[in-house]
Amino acid sequence: MEQQDLQCSMQAVEQSCAALHVSDPGIRSSAEATLLAFRKSPHPFYACQYILENSQVATAKFLAAATIQEAAIREWTLISPEEKSRLRSYCLQYVMARVETSEGYILSKILSVVAALLKRGWLEYTQAEKASFLEEVEQAVAGRHGLAAQRFGISLLEALVSEFSLSTASPMGLPAEFHDKCRASLEAGYLQKFYAWAFDASVMVASKALEGQGENQESAICTVAIRLMTQILNWEFRGKLAVLGKSRASTLSSSPASRKSSEQLQLWHDLLVSPAKVTWILNFYEHIHQKGNAWLDLPLSVVVRQLIVLMCSLNGSIFPTDGAGTQEQHLQRLLNCIISWIDPPEYVISAVLAGTSERQTGTLSLLSSLTCGIIKASCVRESEEPSWTYEALEVLLETWTVILQPADLSQKVPLPPSGIEAASAVFQTFVEFEMKLSESSALDEDDADDMAAFSDEAREDRLSAVALIARTVPSVSLSLLTMLVSKCFSEIRQSLGSETTTRCLEQLHWLTILSGHVLADPGEGETPTVPESILAVSAEPATHPAVSLSFALIDVAQQSLDATFRTTLSPRMMEAIVWFFGRWVETYLMPDHAGRGPSSTPSGHEGQEVSVGVLFDGRNALNAAFGKDGGGPAVLEILVRVALTSLTAWRGEQVLQEYVSSRLLPALVRRRNVCVQLLSMGSWQELATVFARQDQMLLSLSDSVQRALSGCLCRSAQGLANADAANQLSRWYVKDLLMPMAASLAEFSGRKDLATFSQQPNVIHQVSCVLERLRGAARETIPRTQKAIFEVGVSIMKPLLVFMEIYKNQPSVVYLLLKYVVVWVDAEVVFLEPKDTTTVFNFCVQLLSVYSAHNIGKVSVSTSRSLQNEAQTEKYKDLRALLQLLTNLSSKDLFDFALHADENPDVAQVVYLGLNIITPLISADLLKYPKLCRQYFTLLMHMLEVYPEKVAKISPEGFSQILGTLEFGLRQQDVEVVNMTLSALGALGVFQYQALCKGDDGLGTQSRTSGGDDVLSHFLKLLMHFLLFEDYSNDLVEPAADALLPLILCNTALFEKLKQELVQRHQDVVSQERVSTAFHSLSKGIEITSTIDRSIRRKFRSNLFVFLNDLRGFLRTR
Amino acid sequence: MSDEEHHFDNKADAGASKTYPQQAGTIRKNAYIVIKQRPCKVVEVSTSKTGKHGHAKCHFVGIDIFTGKKLEDIVPSSHNCDVPEVTRTDYQLIDISEDGFVSLLTENGDTKDDLRLPTDDQLNAQISTGFHDGKDLVVTVMSALGEEQICALKDIGPK
Repeated sequence: MEQQDLQCSMQAVEQSCAALHVSDPGIRSSAEATLLAFRKSPHPFYACQYILENSQVATAKFLAAATIQEAAIREWTLISPEEKSRLRSYCLQYVMARVETSEGYILSKILSVVAALLKRGWLEYTQAEKASFLEEVEQAVAGRHGLAAQRFGISLLEALVSEFSLSTASPMGLPAEFHDKCRASLEAGYLQKFYAWAFDASVMVASKALEGQGENQESAICTVAIRLMTQILNWEFRGKLAVLGKSRASTLSSSPASRKSSEQLQLWHDLLVSPAKVTWILNFYEHIHQKGNAWLDLPLSVVVRQLIVLMCSLNGSIFPTDGAGTQEQHLQRLLNCIISWIDPPEYVISAVLAGTSERQTGTLSLLSSLTCGIIKASCVRESEEPSWTYEALEVLLETWTVILQPADLSQKVPLPPSGIEAASAVFQTFVEFEMKLSESSALDEDDADDMAAFSDEAREDRLSAVALIARTVPSVSLSLLTMLVSKCFSEIRQSLGSETTTRCLEQLHWLTILSGHVLADPGEGETPTVPESILAVSAEPATHPAVSLSFALIDVAQQSLDATFRTTLSPRMMEAIVWFFGRWVETYLMPDHAGRGPSSTPSGHEGQEVSVGVLFDGRNALNAAFGKDGGGPAVLEILVRVALTSLTAWRGEQVLQEYVSSRLLPALVRRRNVCVQLLSMGSWQELATVFARQDQMLLSLSDSVQRALSGCLCRSAQGLANADAANQLSRWYVKDLLMPMAASLAEFSGRKDLATFSQQPNVIHQVSCVLERLRGAARETIPRTQKAIFEVGVSIMKPLLVFMEIYKNQPSVVYLLLKYVVVWVDAEVVFLEPKDTTTVFNFCVQLLSVYSAHNIGKVSVSTSRSLQNEAQTEKYKDLRALLQLLTNLSSKDLFDFALHADENPDVAQVVYLGLNIITPLISADLLKYPKLCRQYFTLLMHMLEVYPEKVAKISPEGFSQILGTLEFGLRQQDVEVVNMTLSALGALGVFQYQALCKGDDGLGTQSRTSGGDDVLSHFLKLLMHFLLFEDYSNDLVEPAADALLPLILCNTALFEKLKQELVQRHQDVVSQERVSTAFHSLSKGIEITSTIDRSIRRKFRSNLFVFLNDLRGFLRTR
Repeated sequence: MSDEEHHFDNKADAGASKTYPQQAGTIRKNAYIVIKQRPCKVVEVSTSKTGKHGHAKCHFVGIDIFTGKKLEDIVPSSHNCDVPEVTRTDYQLIDISEDGFVSLLTENGDTKDDLRLPTDDQLNAQISTGFHDGKDLVVTVMSALGEEQICALKDIGPK
C-alpha cells in the first residue's frame, strides 16, 4: 500500500476514535460504522502497523492492535506462514522497543495479540518451533536482557496463560475441542516451567524490590511474577493434576501417561509445597508486613496475600498419600505465620499471662477471644454502615463452621476442653450482644428490613453458624436460652403495656428465633433429626436442657391463647412462635422412631450409639416429653389451637397467617403418625368444620393462605385407619370438607338472578375463595384422596362453565378458575379411566371455547397506561394457564402409552383442538414474555414430534398461525426457544418427506400458502440463510442439522437452486470452486432412502459442521 | 322517554352504585377498591407494620378506572375497605349521533342513548371507522358507583 493511503486510513481511524466521544448520536454512529468497517477490512495489517507506529491517539493504537488480532484469526487460512511469523515478531519488537513508555495498556493488548496468534497456530507448530520461541522468553524472564525485558517476558507469559485458559480464551471461530487441546498441551508441558521461571525471577529481584517505597522497577517485576504464579495456581487443572479445590484427582487409569504425570506431580510438589519455597514466600510477606501500613495496600502485598491464600487451599494429589501428614505440616507452616500476623498484642500478652504459650491448643482460644473481641467491638460502632466488624465476624464465624462441621464428616474431631470453653465464651458473648441490640432497636420505626428478617440470608447464615457453636456446648447454651426466655416472658407478664414490654418482646422474639436454630435444623425436603450433641446430653426427662427450653416456649404459645393476655403480645412475636414450632415439630414432636429399641436400629452407626447407653438417655428424655405416649398429644393440642387462633383472632395479620399455613400446618400434616393423632382431636375437627362451613372468619384470609390451609386439611386424610376402609374413609372425609363448597358453587350458578347476583363483590369474593381452596386441595392430592377430589371436580364442571361465561369481564375470577382446572387436571390425569378421561377432555375443550369466544378480537383500551399494562399481563397469565392445561392434557398419552389404545379418547385431537382455539389469541407481542414463549414452543414441539399427522387436520388459519410462530421462534434470542423451533421444523420436515416417499398426501393443501409457495421450501430458504449469515450459538448447529436434512430432502431442486445462487455470487473461479466444494462435502456420504435413520443424521451433522467451518467465515468476510 | 325510565330501573336493580365491605388484608392486586370515593383498580399492595411490634397495615395504590388517575390509601389490614361493584355489560352498537352520543341495543330490545363516545382517541377511532365501515360492533360498558364508560370493543364480524 502507498504511504499516502496508509496516512489516509490512519487519519480516518483517528478521527472516528475522537468522534466516539462526541455527544451527537449521528456523528457517533457514523464513526462507529467507520471503525467497524476498518476492523472488518481484508488484510489490514500494514495499515495497523502504520497506525501503531505513527499515531498519537492512544485509542487508535489500541484499535489497531485489536484489528490485527481479529483479522489474523479471520484470515488465518489465507495468510502464509511467513506472514504469520512476521506479524508475531513485529508485535514482540514493537513491545520491546517501547517497554519504557507509559502506554501500558496498549502494550499489554499487543502482548495478548501475540498470545492469541500463538494459540491459533499452537497445534500447527512443531515442538522445535515452540521450544525455540519459549527459550527466548525464558532468557528474558531470567533477566538476561535487562529489567525491562524481564518484566515484558513475564507479562507475555501472563497473556499466554490467560489466552490458553478456557474461561478467558478469546474467540477463534473454532470448535471447543481446539481450545481444549491447547489447554491440555499448556497444562502438561509448560505451566510448570512458567511457574518455576516466575518464582526464580521474583527471588532474584526480591531484595531490591523491598528497597525504597515499593515503586521501583524491581517491585513491579516482583508483582507481575507473583501475579503470574497466582494465575497459574488458579488454573483449572484436570485429571491427575487437580492441584486445587476439591480433589477431583486420581481417577485416571494407569496408562503410560500416568507415569509421566506422576513425575510431574513430584515436580509440582517440589515447586509448591517444599518447605524452602513456602518459607521463602512467607518470609517475603513478613518483610512487607514489617514495612508498616503504607505497604499493605500496594499491589505487591495484595498479590502475595492472594498467593498465600492459594497455597493454603492446595489440595488433592499434590500431597503424597501419607495420611495427610505432609499436608498437615504444610498447613501448620502457613498457619504459624498467619497467626502471627492477626494476633494483636493484647491477646499475645493475655496469653502469656495465662501461661498458655503453646500454639497448638492456642488456636481455638485465640479464635474465641478474637471472635468475642470483634462482637464487643461491633457493639460500639453499631450505627455505622456495614463496618469492618461485620465483615470480620462473618469470616470468623465461617472459620468456626469449617472447624465444627468439616465438609467431610469423617474428618470431624472432638473438640479439646479448651475448645469447649472457647465455644461457650463465644456463644455467651454473642447472646449478650444481641440481647442488648434487640433491646435498643425494639422501638425503631423503620421496619422495612425487619419484615424479611427470617428469610434474610445473611442473618440466617449467621444464626446457623452461631447455632453450630451452641450445639457443641448444649448444656450451657440451652440452659442459658431457657433462663433468658423465662426471664423475658415473666417480665412481659408483669409490665403490661409499657415500653418495657416492647423491649422484652423484641428480646423474646430474638431468643425464639435463635432457639429454633439451635434446637432443630430446617427440614427442606429431608427429615431432620435431633442434633447429635443434644441427643448425647443425658438427663432426667424433666431436666433435659432441650426439654426445658421447649417447654419454656410451649408455655409462651399456650399463654398466647388467652384472649386478654393476647393483647400484650404482638403479631411479630406470634410470627416467631409459629416459625419456631414449624421447625421444632418436625424434629421433636412424636418422632417416627419413638420407642424403637436397640434391636430395631437399622444402621450399625446408630447401634453403636445405643450400645454406649448414654445416648439412649437423651432420646428417652425427649420421648417422654414429646413422644406419642408421652407429652406429645398435649403439645399437639396446644399447637393446633395456636394455629386456629392465629388464623381467626389475629385479623388481617397476613404474615402471621402465612407462617401458620405454610410452615406450621404443613409440618403438622407431613407425618402419618401425627395425622392419626390430629384426626382424633377436637380442635382439628373444629378447624375442619369452620373451614367446610365457609365461615366468614376463615373466608377473610388471603388467597395463598386459603390454598395452603385447604391443602393441609385434605392431606391430613393420610392419618385415617390404615386398613381397607382407609380409602373409603378418606373419600368421605375429603368430600365432607369440600362438598359443601362445591354445593354452594352449584347453587350460585343455578340462581335466576345470577347475572346481577354474581357481580356483587361479596359473591365474587366467596367464589374466588372457594376456587382457591379447591385448587389448594387438588394440589395436595394423594392417592387415597384422588377419587374424592375427582368427584368434587366433576360435580362443579357445569357451574364452572357457567362462571366462565358470567365472569368473562372479571379477569381475576377467570384466572383463578383456569388455575384451578390446570392444577386439578395435573393432579388427576395420571389416575383417570378412559371414561373419566373423556369427561375431562370434553370439559376442557368446552372451557377453552368459552374462553376464546370472549377473548378473540377483543380490543380493550383504557385511559391509563398502567391499567392497560395490567390488562396485558392478565391476558398473558391466562394464556400461560391455558398452555399449561394443554401440556398437562398431552402428558396423558405418556402415562397410558400401552393401555387401551382404542378406548382412550384421542389426546392429540383434544390438544390440537385446544391449540386451534388458543393460537389466535397468542400474538407476537405476548410471545415476547419469555416464560410464555418457552411454554408455547415446548408444547408445539411436543405435538409436532409426536403427532405430525394431526397437522393436516387443523384449520388452515390455525396452521398458518402455527407456521408464523415457528418463523417467529427462529428469530428469538433464547437458544432454547430456537432449539425447540428447529426440532418442531425437523419433525414437520420428516413427516412430509416420509409422506412423499410413500406417495401420501402429507401436509396436503396445508403446505401451500396463499401465495402458492411451498411452506417447507420457505423454511428451507430461511434456515440456510440463518445458518450462513446470522449469528447464533454453536449449540444450535446440531438441531439445525436435524431440521435441515429433511427439508433438503423434501425439495432437492430448491436446494440445488440455492447452491447455484451462492456460487454465482462470486466472480472469481477460486471462490466459486470453494463454495461448490463445500456444498459437495455437505452431501457427502448421505444416501437417500425413505427413512432418515440415526446414522444418516449423525453423518449429516458432522458434514454440516465442516460445511459451516469452510463456508461461513468465508462468505461473511467477503 | 319511557324507554329511558325503564332503563334506569334496570340500573337500580343492578345495584351499580353499591359498595361492599371487605377486610383490607384480603384485597389483592388487580382487585377493585374505593379510594376517596372513587372506584379504583389496585395496582400495588404492600403491607407493613406500625413499629416493630405493631399491627399490620396495607398500603394501596389504585388507579381510577374512569379517569386513570392514581390514588393512594393506607388502611389497618384488619379494617374493612369499601369494594365497588364494577360491572361490564355488552351492547350492540346501533348508531353514533353527530354530537358524539352512541345508541346501544340492550338485551331486552330497548335502546340506551345516554353514553358518549369514549374519550380515548384510539378506541374512539376504532369505533367510528368500524361503524362507518358497516361492521357489527359490540361495545362493553363499564359501570361503577353510578358512573358509566365504554371500555372495550369487539368486532363480531358482518353476519
